[in-house]
Amino acid sequence: MSTITAPELRKNETRIGRRGFLSFATGGLTLGFLMPEFSGIGELDAATITQVNSFLKIGSDESITLTIGSTEMGQGSFSGLAQVLAEELAVDYSKIVTVQGAPTLANPAPVGAAINTVGSSVLRTNFWKLRDAGCAARTLLVQAAAKAKGDSNLSNYTAANGIVTHTPTASKYTYGQLAASAATLPLGTPLPLIPDADFKVIGKTVPRVDIPNKVDGSAIYGIDIRLPNMVYAVIKHGPAFGATLASTPATPRGMIAVVPTKVIAGTDRGTEAVGNINAVAVVGSNTWDAWQSARSLSAKWNLPANVASLNSTQFTAAASALLTGATPYTAAGQNPPGTVYTVEGTATTPAAVASALSGSAHVVDAIYTLPYVAHACMEVLNCTVDYVAGVRCDIYAPTQSAKGLLQLAVMLTGLPESAITVHTTYLGGGLGRKAEQDFVSQAIQVGMAIGRPVKLMWPREEDFTRDQYRPMAVIHGKAGVNGSGQITGWAYRNVSPSILGQRGAVLGPTGDSQGIEGAQALPYNIGVRLTEWVSHTAPIPVGFWRSVGASLNTFAVESLIDELAAAAGQDPYNFRRSALTDPRWIAVLDAGANLGGWHTAPPSGHFRGIAIGTAFNSIVAEVVEISNVTANGLRVNKVSIALDSYLTVNPGQVDAQLSGGMVHGLNAALYGRQTFVNGAAQNKNFNHSRMIRSGEMPTVATTIIPNPSALDRRRVIGGVGELGVPTLAPALANAYFKATGKRVRDLPFFPNATMND
Amino acid sequence: MSTLTLNVNGQNHTVSVNDSGMPLLWVLRDILGLTGTKYGCGIEICGACTVMVNGQAEKSCDMDVSSAVGKQIVTIEGLSTNRSHPAQQAWIAKQVPQCGYCQSGMLMSVACSMKAGHRGSNIEIGNLCVCGTYNRIKQAVSTL
Repeated sequence: MSTITAPELRKNETRIGRRGFLSFATGGLTLGFLMPEFSGIGELDAATITQVNSFLKIGSDESITLTIGSTEMGQGSFSGLAQVLAEELAVDYSKIVTVQGAPTLANPAPVGAAINTVGSSVLRTNFWKLRDAGCAARTLLVQAAAKAKGDSNLSNYTAANGIVTHTPTASKYTYGQLAASAATLPLGTPLPLIPDADFKVIGKTVPRVDIPNKVDGSAIYGIDIRLPNMVYAVIKHGPAFGATLASTPATPRGMIAVVPTKVIAGTDRGTEAVGNINAVAVVGSNTWDAWQSARSLSAKWNLPANVASLNSTQFTAAASALLTGATPYTAAGQNPPGTVYTVEGTATTPAAVASALSGSAHVVDAIYTLPYVAHACMEVLNCTVDYVAGVRCDIYAPTQSAKGLLQLAVMLTGLPESAITVHTTYLGGGLGRKAEQDFVSQAIQVGMAIGRPVKLMWPREEDFTRDQYRPMAVIHGKAGVNGSGQITGWAYRNVSPSILGQRGAVLGPTGDSQGIEGAQALPYNIGVRLTEWVSHTAPIPVGFWRSVGASLNTFAVESLIDELAAAAGQDPYNFRRSALTDPRWIAVLDAGANLGGWHTAPPSGHFRGIAIGTAFNSIVAEVVEISNVTANGLRVNKVSIALDSYLTVNPGQVDAQLSGGMVHGLNAALYGRQTFVNGAAQNKNFNHSRMIRSGEMPTVATTIIPNPSALDRRRVIGGVGELGVPTLAPALANAYFKATGKRVRDLPFFPNATMND
Repeated sequence: MSTLTLNVNGQNHTVSVNDSGMPLLWVLRDILGLTGTKYGCGIEICGACTVMVNGQAEKSCDMDVSSAVGKQIVTIEGLSTNRSHPAQQAWIAKQVPQCGYCQSGMLMSVACSMKAGHRGSNIEIGNLCVCGTYNRIKQAVSTL
């Protein structure tokens, strides 16, 4: 079955039916259905639909093909979408073939909107759309059977296992037999959705569609693309952030070209300004030779004037100064970095909080610091471009942003959209890094310069040293408890570089929405509250790192809560349970505590910590159990995770994602840190950026708050893929306090850890 | 330019390289087109590039191709023809991979450990998986 590309969809479009479906005949029934793009805000509103990015084809050969516009990076979205479709279409899940779709600029998309596979969004934003689409297809198939049978009473038909049965006569029609006819019919009143009580696939653990190809080497990631006549490019950036190329080096002997690459509009971040030539690509006949030439290339670079200020120690000092010295936001002002925004408590003054705290029995005054952290996807950044001047451009990329990539390619090549094809491959991890376009823009520039197919790769050292890092943060929390253990007041200020600000966003009065995730709308009874966010001045590029702001703020919030519990002399679980005001949070806290054995004594020498938080509309609690704490390490024995995402499609995959997210959080909490000296990132490979291996892996238990007996489409569905991350670090720090009596307020725990073979 | 003969997955291949110090990894991937073997770190830490050389696990990112001449090299593509190796079967049964990028190296490490006579929890798992699939890997190898 060939993939139906988006341009073909537009050419063949015959009509737009109810609920925005497109139906047309290409050897069977094809429904183009509209899936909303993830907009980050109000993404569940159907009015935001701007893009056909998924569609369904039922072939006369009984094949069922679901073409998906989002990206598969191990989170299992392809399989989850196939499950949802199988349920509503009343077919066996294993019958559905999933195909990676291509992006399109059709319809037209609003400026800045892209099909981004980010924000743990694929299933939660597409669940009801896909059910509606499957239901519409089933309805059309039943209508076709009614036409064939000559009995127009649709209640005389049932659809199951890919067959429509006329129940009075037991006449049977396969979907394949009906597909061509169904494609010619106008969609009538849709049949009812499958009742929740009859679910056979939704909520069940089924095998993932992408796993077989991931055990025999046949899964194609971006880095595996091979094209006829292809050459290999290896990137080499300047020696510091902000460095620009002074002169183009001669092409080394045996190499094909040295191509300077510049920062393209839309990919500029911090020090990396539009037009700066911040890298060169060395092109050769294979990766190794190109890489060796890149290493020994004697390029001359101009360092930025402020290079001596691009140091981690200065960044931390500047952040500390902004804990007290930031300039208040003004609606008419420029609000440059160094501005303080009031997130919550606009009517609250620092004096009011101080007054509330003055009568407290205990006040906790703590500063938490978090470092820059690299993404370190197992698959380094890469992109393959096949450009024929004036004719076409094919781009093969492990991207979380296929549509943004298409927009970039149109801009860079000047070709019409119809001449550009984006091929999204599997991603060897995305983690937010592959939502960026810097590496893609470089590959296009090289492809255009040399006029033959080229695969561009970032060596691991470039991947670590030229990341768009999780932002550093310095967070000041000050809160009190009264003699009854009730929280009296809460002042919270997070100073961190702005992810959205580096992307040209004009920040409103509450600051960077990405930076404050996890710190606002806390359902704790915390008295007078003032929550502030300050844009840090540091220009090191920052970006979206699995769970984004929640990974920063949940550490500080849940550490501060734990410190208050200790000050009040209360059990950390009981303290939270008393202060929480949301029954869903309480249920998750209880589930996590029960799973982690909170109410029974841990084994001798083991200590537990707990934390709860939210991200992407889900609630998560983790209990971490540790032992063997030394100056150089500790043993994490067990992590227990409870999740409420409202809806679970594949429990086995939720378990995998929670466990995987937890490991991502654990790697960062224990060891993750990038530091800078004169603009140069210091940790260049895994040897100085340790990650846990099998021997350090804790036992993991997960539990999911069950789906309601009947799903309500008005309810907000939560994400899963990033939810394991945010509560790990605070639960670990809280366990560490239990074990040692010492608070870890500065991450990572073991900043100088190394790893070797 | 050196011309070398490599035995990969039971077949001899003649390859020409500019640098006989080119790591086996890049010969496999770029010259022979066997892209199942992955580049991860290039410094023998992560193990994504693990292949079997004369029955033993070798990190191909730091093994000169010249030193592989005359040896039997097996890559993930040669582990079986139909995903029938017990480790591959176990990986599917336990739904191990997430992004899957490290799993070729994992499976080759496990296959080498099995070839050395290890079974079940004695099978060595030293490679890096950033997705954190270790517990499912442990479940899978416990059945081997």
